[in-house]
Amino acid sequence: MLTVFVTGLATGMLFAAVALVYNVMFSTSKVLSVTTGHISMLGGVFGAFFITGLGLHWFLAMLGAVLVGAAFGWLTEVLAIRRVLSRSDEHLWLLSTLALATMVQQAVGLWWGTEPRPFPRLIPQEFGAGIWDQKFWLPIGTAAFMAIGLDLFYRKTMYGKLFVAMSEDAFAARARGVSTDRIRLLSYVLSGALGGLAGFAAGQLTFAYFALGLTLTLNGFIALAVGGLGSNVGALLGGIALGLLNAFASYWFGGEYQQTIAVGLLMIVLLVKPEGLLGSRNVRPV
Amino acid sequence: MAKHLLGRITQLALATGFSLLATTALSQPIKVGWLSSLTGPLSSAAIAENEGVKLAVEEINKSGGLLGRQIELLTRDTAGDPTKAVNFAQQLAFSDKVNFVIGPVNSGEGLAATPILAKAGVPTLVIGAVDELTDATKFPRAFRMINTNTQWISSANDYALNVLKAKRVAIIADTSGYGTASAKQAVELLEKAGIKPVYNVLVDNNKTDLVDEMTKARNAGADIVMPWTAATGLLARLLNARGEMGWDVNVVGHPALMAAQIRKLLNKPEYWDKTYAAGYVSTTFLPDGKLPERTQALVDKMRPRLGGQEIDVLFWWIALGYDTVKMVEHAVKTAGSTDPAKIQKVLEETTSFPGVYGTYSYSVTGRNGFPDSGMMMNVANTFKDGSFKPAPR
Repeated sequence: MLTVFVTGLATGMLFAAVALVYNVMFSTSKVLSVTTGHISMLGGVFGAFFITGLGLHWFLAMLGAVLVGAAFGWLTEVLAIRRVLSRSDEHLWLLSTLALATMVQQAVGLWWGTEPRPFPRLIPQEFGAGIWDQKFWLPIGTAAFMAIGLDLFYRKTMYGKLFVAMSEDAFAARARGVSTDRIRLLSYVLSGALGGLAGFAAGQLTFAYFALGLTLTLNGFIALAVGGLGSNVGALLGGIALGLLNAFASYWFGGEYQQTIAVGLLMIVLLVKPEGLLGSRNVRPV
Repeated sequence: MAKHLLGRITQLALATGFSLLATTALSQPIKVGWLSSLTGPLSSAAIAENEGVKLAVEEINKSGGLLGRQIELLTRDTAGDPTKAVNFAQQLAFSDKVNFVIGPVNSGEGLAATPILAKAGVPTLVIGAVDELTDATKFPRAFRMINTNTQWISSANDYALNVLKAKRVAIIADTSGYGTASAKQAVELLEKAGIKPVYNVLVDNNKTDLVDEMTKARNAGADIVMPWTAATGLLARLLNARGEMGWDVNVVGHPALMAAQIRKLLNKPEYWDKTYAAGYVSTTFLPDGKLPERTQALVDKMRPRLGGQEIDVLFWWIALGYDTVKMVEHAVKTAGSTDPAKIQKVLEETTSFPGVYGTYSYSVTGRNGFPDSGMMMNVANTFKDGSFKPAPR
């Protein structure tokens, strides 16, 4: 039973990490990019490539995965977000980010192959460590580190405060001289870096697999919606709840009910508390 | 006089026209549609099959084609998506007006596309294993060249029960359509043999760890684990879980257990021990360490095309792809035309056609050409040049 708990916790923290990435992007653009899970997929695939293909030390490989993620975040903003937001108020970003996500997945499939590939051990440790295996604790630790880091970033740094300002009222921020376009681009680069890091940390759990992106995009979104859009603590709680529910649903009822229960959770939360567990209800003063 | 001359000119023109039409028909290529999931999940099989298909087409065209006509291969990448498979099947049948279709590769795509090809009356060479893909009444021109799923499951069950003497079976399958149907079929076949599985579960393809399910199987008293999934990631996780639990249990099941990718995903190479999967006589090494003659001949032809090194894909996929085009050759040459009705008749009368992957026989009511005698259980971790050693009996 402890194994089920730790597996669920690790998977849940990976979903939480993806939900945090959503939050960073959303804070400045109000966009929920379909590419979010694909950033983490790239982190896992490129991390494995840098270590096994190029023979880099795991630390350099991690930096490489973070850079690849950041570059993809930048590309997402430039190609799929900027022009769409400047020309339309409709949710056309859904299509543009879906197109970019599909293209990157196909490209990785052609280059990397469509079968899962191994992700190497990062810390010397014998296999058979059970629940203490690094494949569980690396994604758990990384998601926690990301949440704490983002909290400090928002509260202690100038750029973090600009993110918050844009999140609360982008027009007001622009009126006060904030370069909202630049801040939005920066948020995408930051979210890309974080997504790359999350994918790298979870590589041993997920393998380096080209088709992982959409699964993470979907589950990260459910975690975010359950926890509350915009809340990092909510993202963590939502991710953990989803991961544990998936694991125990599969354990008790079988894998055929796993997805149904995950989506069922989303529906219940949307019906009972549409803003999520820790989300804030938007009230427009008149 | 003028009327007579006009009549002669008309006759001449008509004769020339018919002659031209006949020449044009003869010089037109024989179109073979190839529905292949070259990208997307589970593309490994399609990529390997494609090598065999291309080689056979090149060989036939180099030797003058069929009935003096070249084969034109129309490859369509379905990306493993049934919707795309349906669209491409319609395009090949109604726009390109192909003479044959090979594929689709995955059973899910086949279930969607085969009825369309049947409606169009196009002779189709089926390479999906799900049993429902062939039916002499519903799809009279669909002839299966791969084995059926029943043959895979029956071979594995026979080995588990009669050779390994297993009595308490655990079945672990994935939640895909294939996994769900296979698990159900495996249970039915086991129950027919008087064995009720002690544990039976479906798990998600992306499940990150299988220690929990394997622990439940062990606690249920299983003395054998039989996985039914084509997902190599899931199979590797199952074998890793068994290894890390230190559970000395046999694993017997789907051919994907033998895939070369599994080796790379295992935490330790020895986690692949005591693993057996349903394979084929054609890709099993003989006691003297050699491959069957026809297989070896194709290996020798393929090796330079695959880089000249050891072949690192399952060779039966290549052999199957090669055989499909050879079956087209056999049908067209024997029928003396590409008329679909004549092709159907020739294939129905085909017995013991010697391919590389297998020796095929069909009948008026039989559309599954691969014989039970072509099946063979293999030791999973003996992969060499795409082939395997036989499982001990």
